Amino acid sequence: MKKKVTLACLVLAALIAALSSAAGAPSPSRQAQAQRTIVIDPGHGGLDVGAKGKFGALEKTITLAISFKLKALIEQNLAYRVVLTRDKDIDVSLESRAAMANNNAAALFISIHTNGSFRKRAQGSETFFMSLNASDEETRKLAYMENSSADLEQRIAEEDKDVVKMILWDMAQTAYIKQSSRLAEFIQEELSSDPRLKTENRGIKQAPFKVLTGVACPAVLVEAAFISNPEEEQRLVADEFQTQIAQAIFGGLARFIKLTAPK
Amino acid sequence: MNKRSALLLVLFVVLAILVVIFFRTSGREELVKDSAGTSPAGDVRALPEKPAKTVSLFFLRESDGRLEAEERSIETNPSLVREAEEALAELIKGPSGDLVGTVPPETKLGRLFLTKDGTAYVDFSRDLIDNHPSGTAAEISTVYAVVDTLTYNFKSIKRVFILIDGEERETLNGHIELDRPFLPDYSLIAKRQ
Repeated sequence: MKKKVTLACLVLAALIAALSSAAGAPSPSRQAQAQRTIVIDPGHGGLDVGAKGKFGALEKTITLAISFKLKALIEQNLAYRVVLTRDKDIDVSLESRAAMANNNAAALFISIHTNGSFRKRAQGSETFFMSLNASDEETRKLAYMENSSADLEQRIAEEDKDVVKMILWDMAQTAYIKQSSRLAEFIQEELSSDPRLKTENRGIKQAPFKVLTGVACPAVLVEAAFISNPEEEQRLVADEFQTQIAQAIFGGLARFIKLTAPK
Repeated sequence: MNKRSALLLVLFVVLAILVVIFFRTSGREELVKDSAGTSPAGDVRALPEKPAKTVSLFFLRESDGRLEAEERSIETNPSLVREAEEALAELIKGPSGDLVGTVPPETKLGRLFLTKDGTAYVDFSRDLIDNHPSGTAAEISTVYAVVDTLTYNFKSIKRVFILIDGEERETLNGHIELDRPFLPDYSLIAKRQ
């Protein structure tokens, strides 16, 4: 009798081991549950330099620098793991960036950018969340999804328990519009109230961003300042300003987590 | 005998000529009748001025970055699609006053198509991308200057799909997605004083 129980235990243990190893190399499964993930997306990279400043600053360089600082802040202060969609100067497709959030069952997705305009005087910070750039039929479908968003969240958690998958729903973000707008609000409040930044507050806005559409968690895109404005370009390349931006974004997302994360 | 046949031949030839003349003139009468029937439409061309309609073209306001309408007159055309193309051609030419254009003037416009469900397919040359300053704000102002100009002036256009060199493109310059049709966003337009 005792032997049988031990045998059953052994078989079970072997099965669990086999299952978890089959799940793939860096198994975020167990870790992700104990410690949830925040995905930071440094905009552009590689051949895609993003917007360019008059003095030669490139959007891709500044976004990466701010992202590193934000990653450090989160890891020091919150019980969250941070994944960067890129940690060097390389091309990463917009779909892969979104997929990285979904593969890691991310709690939040923050895309970092610097702005560019046709207007020479354009300046300030703004935080975006996705707008429904969709046909009428799609909009109806999405409205339904938003209503059942809590249900959807549960399904994602279930399916993600053990298997690392390439999950990318065409319009997954539509189920998180309300949460994303709140996250945008919190981050923009911090960016506009920080006495050191003193950048113009352009508010929170909605636009159809490719990088956000497939992300299945609250997701925003932060435009720290205008690289097309020579004055702001010079601030953006400064280490101090980058740190302050990262701190403001951190402040906003920490408030959001405090308010929404389950105990 | 010879004289007689020669006379007959002459008579025959004369008769043939008369027959030909008769049918020809009757044909001409019909033609005249036809053109008489279409003459009311032809009178339009005789009017001293070409009929024009006023359209609102959206450009950027330097002071606050909102879109503002500049009114311009274009030639009316029985085809809505041709009128829409004309409006876009004017939008590409740029503003005449203090506003800032958001479609690079180098851009060439291909044909516009309008589907039954009200989706307009607009085809721009790659110059739009190559001469674009990049950046989120710039992309938004380009896209919605085009989309709002079309939907605001032509009520049967409900949404706009932007193509580059005849093909679908993922984003304009890394931010705003072009692989779905755009609905208008009039919130970007400045309120009239």
